[in-house]
Amino acid sequence: MLRITGGRVYDPANGVDGQIRDVCIADGRIAAAVGDGARTLDASGMVIFPGGVDVHTHVAGGAINFARAMTPEDHRRTVAFIRTQTQRSGLGGMAPTTFATGYLYAGMGWTTLNEAAVPILSAKHTHEELRDVPIVDKSCCVLMANNEIVLDLLENGELERAKQVVAWQIWASKAYGVKAVNPGGVAAWKWGKDAKQLSETVEGYRKLTPGTIITGLAQIIDELGLPHPLHLHCNNLGAPGNYTTTLESMKSLEGHRAHLAHLQYHAYGGDDWNTMRSETEAIADYFNAHSNLTADAGAVLFGNTVTITADGPWQHLLYKLTGRKWGNLDVENETGCGIVPYTYRPSNIVNAVQWASGLELLLMIKDPWRVSLSTDHPNGACFWRYPEILQLLMSADFRRDCMAKMSEEAKRRIRLPELDREYSLFEIAIITSAGPARALGLSNKGHLGIGADADIAVYNQDQDISRMFSHPRYVIKHGEIVIEEGEIRATPLGRSYVIKPQYESTIEEYLRPLFEDCYTMQFENYPVELERVEHAELRNCIPAE
Amino acid sequence: MLQLTLKQNPPVPLEAELISPDTLARMSLDEIRALPLQLGKHRRRLDEFFDISGAPGLELKLIGDLSRVKWLGRGMSQGRIEIVGNAGMHLGARMKGGEIEVHGNTGDWLGAEMSQGTIRVRGDAGGQVGAAYRGSVSGMKNGTIIIDGTAGLEIGMRMRRGLIVVGKRVKDFAGLQMKGGTILLRAGSEIRAGAWMVRGTIISLAPLPLLPTFATSCSHNPLFLRLLARQLADWDIALPALDDQGTYDCYSGDSSVPGKGELLIWRPRNGSTVQ
Amino acid sequence: MRNRADLVIYWGGNPAECHPRHFTKYALMPKGKHLPRGRKDRTMVLVDIRETKSVKAADIFLQIRPGRDFEVLTILRAIVKGQYVNPAMVAETGLTIEQLRDLVDRMKRARFGVMFFGMGLSMTRGKHMNSSAILTLAAELNAYTKFVAMPMRGHGNVTGADVIMRWTTGYPFGISFDRGYPRFNPGEFSTVDLLVRGDTDAALILGADPGATMPQPAIDHLARIPTIVLDPKVTHTSRLARVHITTAVTGISAPGTGYRMDEVPLPLRPALKSPYPTDEEVVRRIHELVRVKPDWLVHQPRTTQQVF
Repeated sequence: MLRITGGRVYDPANGVDGQIRDVCIADGRIAAAVGDGARTLDASGMVIFPGGVDVHTHVAGGAINFARAMTPEDHRRTVAFIRTQTQRSGLGGMAPTTFATGYLYAGMGWTTLNEAAVPILSAKHTHEELRDVPIVDKSCCVLMANNEIVLDLLENGELERAKQVVAWQIWASKAYGVKAVNPGGVAAWKWGKDAKQLSETVEGYRKLTPGTIITGLAQIIDELGLPHPLHLHCNNLGAPGNYTTTLESMKSLEGHRAHLAHLQYHAYGGDDWNTMRSETEAIADYFNAHSNLTADAGAVLFGNTVTITADGPWQHLLYKLTGRKWGNLDVENETGCGIVPYTYRPSNIVNAVQWASGLELLLMIKDPWRVSLSTDHPNGACFWRYPEILQLLMSADFRRDCMAKMSEEAKRRIRLPELDREYSLFEIAIITSAGPARALGLSNKGHLGIGADADIAVYNQDQDISRMFSHPRYVIKHGEIVIEEGEIRATPLGRSYVIKPQYESTIEEYLRPLFEDCYTMQFENYPVELERVEHAELRNCIPAE
Repeated sequence: MLQLTLKQNPPVPLEAELISPDTLARMSLDEIRALPLQLGKHRRRLDEFFDISGAPGLELKLIGDLSRVKWLGRGMSQGRIEIVGNAGMHLGARMKGGEIEVHGNTGDWLGAEMSQGTIRVRGDAGGQVGAAYRGSVSGMKNGTIIIDGTAGLEIGMRMRRGLIVVGKRVKDFAGLQMKGGTILLRAGSEIRAGAWMVRGTIISLAPLPLLPTFATSCSHNPLFLRLLARQLADWDIALPALDDQGTYDCYSGDSSVPGKGELLIWRPRNGSTVQ
Repeated sequence: MRNRADLVIYWGGNPAECHPRHFTKYALMPKGKHLPRGRKDRTMVLVDIRETKSVKAADIFLQIRPGRDFEVLTILRAIVKGQYVNPAMVAETGLTIEQLRDLVDRMKRARFGVMFFGMGLSMTRGKHMNSSAILTLAAELNAYTKFVAMPMRGHGNVTGADVIMRWTTGYPFGISFDRGYPRFNPGEFSTVDLLVRGDTDAALILGADPGATMPQPAIDHLARIPTIVLDPKVTHTSRLARVHITTAVTGISAPGTGYRMDEVPLPLRPALKSPYPTDEEVVRRIHELVRVKPDWLVHQPRTTQQVF
């Protein structure tokens, strides 16, 4: 039992905006009151947030694990976590090790994360890694839009059967949501082609288009009643002029819920790299008028990172643009796709546009409930740099200081100089916690109402916003103090959220022969057994009538 | 001058990155005695392994078979270390200045990723001399490494500037992926010298096996060799650079990159030999 | 791969004898979605130093001289980019320039090419640079078509160890924990080098038989120091070890996850009961006993700048 007194509470879901009040915790949840025997934390001069929720990050699974092998030079220059009786050893940096990932997230007050890209075939691997990410609670989205069995069904207009297959595959991979990456494009990339326009037929199909895949999946997910809507990585990521594709994608989603991932990478105008500019206004205008959509920013910060995504075509382009190696060739492992070390520089106009676009979206989207903070870790920047973005959002002067270093040409391509909006702490609590929790459909997260999970971050109030959010005074996870003044006090294992949508058991008989035809694995070995997911917690679907 | 004499051979490798003029010059003898060294997984005091004499300063003399002692002079920026005996891996790694002289042999990664300074080894060196650590973009960025004896695999790997001189025949992959600087092989090398080199110069005074991705360009005595010869004279190393002694066969490559590195192989005129 | 690869190259491996299911189940024989005629729709090239049983399965066999893999791969990289190659020296590899040009043509024409490389490449002179060469070649071929390269690992769950070391430490192998955090330097911290130099004063061997495969100085050192072996069977290493703990056979009587060469995880379900404990149980029990000893890192901070 715990009582936190004297702090300013920011709990947007319950309309609490900086009032000083007590927060009581019993049995891992927020309680109305606790007895006199409860330990009391004096939070005078501090602010209290619900624990951060990351709606889109890449921290576990085959791709990030390749990135780890490819960046030993980065591991060497990061701060190392030393093994103690309570803490495992590990390394931070661009692609932190699993244990360090948990410590680093909790170390800045984040307590829940959503791993955004899990291939079904290696879902077992992702869950094994997530088990080794301590402290935080986890969920994951399974990749679907380039799954050939689903694409064939959509090609033939068999939506009902496709729904059965999707439901079965979500449960088989023990996922929480469905992610669509560059629908049709990744399948085409297996032929070295891409799918750039929504109405173009996907390579290898007669009539299937990215548009039909998006609409079909969104409808299926709504009908299944998943707590998190279709998690969409739009086509044509990162390409100049791609904002039209993004607008088309959003239009094709009318009447359905959807979450648009790393929207920054999809908001560019211009015809090529020389004329590339920000088109965030057009995106934000449409987005503001359509409440069926949520998004995360996918913001970029200048500096080193490693880009990883299932989007092969984009990665190859980046490789050609940078001339850097596809992977560290000193280390024996790689698939040859999808992972490129990258440095964002303010002197580079393309990078400057990317940096500004992420911030512009966060500032131009009016409803903070519908846009979440993300960097598409590690693609735009590492998650442990979130406090830097919060500082940029809260201070227009600081943004101007940063822009002073940019060229006049770059400033002509962006809208950021015109934007004066400054986030309040209340709004920060929305985009870092309350909003993403709601987008994920996690009703027990992102707020401090009675019965909610007692996941709480307590920060010293500080003029230096970046410092304030980098070093919480306390972090409480499920009622337990895990971080105290920068020290890791406890490293409990978090829970994994899993859903089981309804499907007819006969669908397995349909899938088995198809599977045995296409895959090199036995059908029985394909599903992840529930026992293999550590601390699994089943969440309900509410199917549409 | 401070003198450290090894009392006992460590049973497992001893990591001694703090033994460097930068750290020791500012310390009292008591502080130096208590300096932590890493023996396997344990921390130990310096005086468990070394007898200490003399006065702390920028000059340091190490005596004994230190072939199990790693990271000596790591990142040093000034002063001088003289080692009477062998030295372990990573000697002078990342050094930024100063001088190291070894009257004995050294382990791998000698002067790895160094950016300034001079290292002279009277005996043999291991592999990866002046190289980049695994995954790093570049190896030594400047400075000089002179080895009288042999050296191992991958010397000068990814080096960007600076000079490496090896007296006896080196093993495979000399100048692997090098991006600049000069490697002088006074007795040639085994296979794959200059593999995947981008820029930079490898000079060999003895014939060496070429990769098929190097093209003959010409045969002459480039002017810069006279400058190099003058520089090397300070170290009592002879470099033939005059036309009456012979010429260098020049090759360019590695075309697989494609790179613009140079390989110069000395061809003496009849009767003339290199000292 | 099964559905798309129309050019399959095996380099320095003998799948017919070492990985028999590779042909039939995985890369060569299966009919794929985009390769309806299976084997007939694929071209198979075998590169090796001698004629093995795999030659029969190949459409093209390129026999190269021992120890010339790196040279051949480097020549191929140059040809791919239309760069100069010294024709006289090509002959030293055992192949002709025409053979190599033809191979590059096929590589560029393929819709989806794949190269599998075995120990004949990665464990011969040049070692990691040979692997590096084939991976670089594959990466560069992606400027023309889709191409991947993949190692064919040896016995046991080598890939699984590599995958897990990477997520827990950031590095695949050759890791030291001496300083309380992971450090990586193959050649310095790799097992065989540590043993040959005699840099360790104890050894715990799990899922391997170094006594059968490592060079004599390494084996001598294992015999000299306290060596503990966990193995279901008596092995060369267990014979020279101070302690041999018999364990259950993973995959047959102990559960777990196996990682296939391409890192696809497979559940291992025990079919039989074993009277012996699993490797995991033994290591956990050892760990519990080590835990109660005084912590030798206790005086250190929780995070640190690294020595490397």
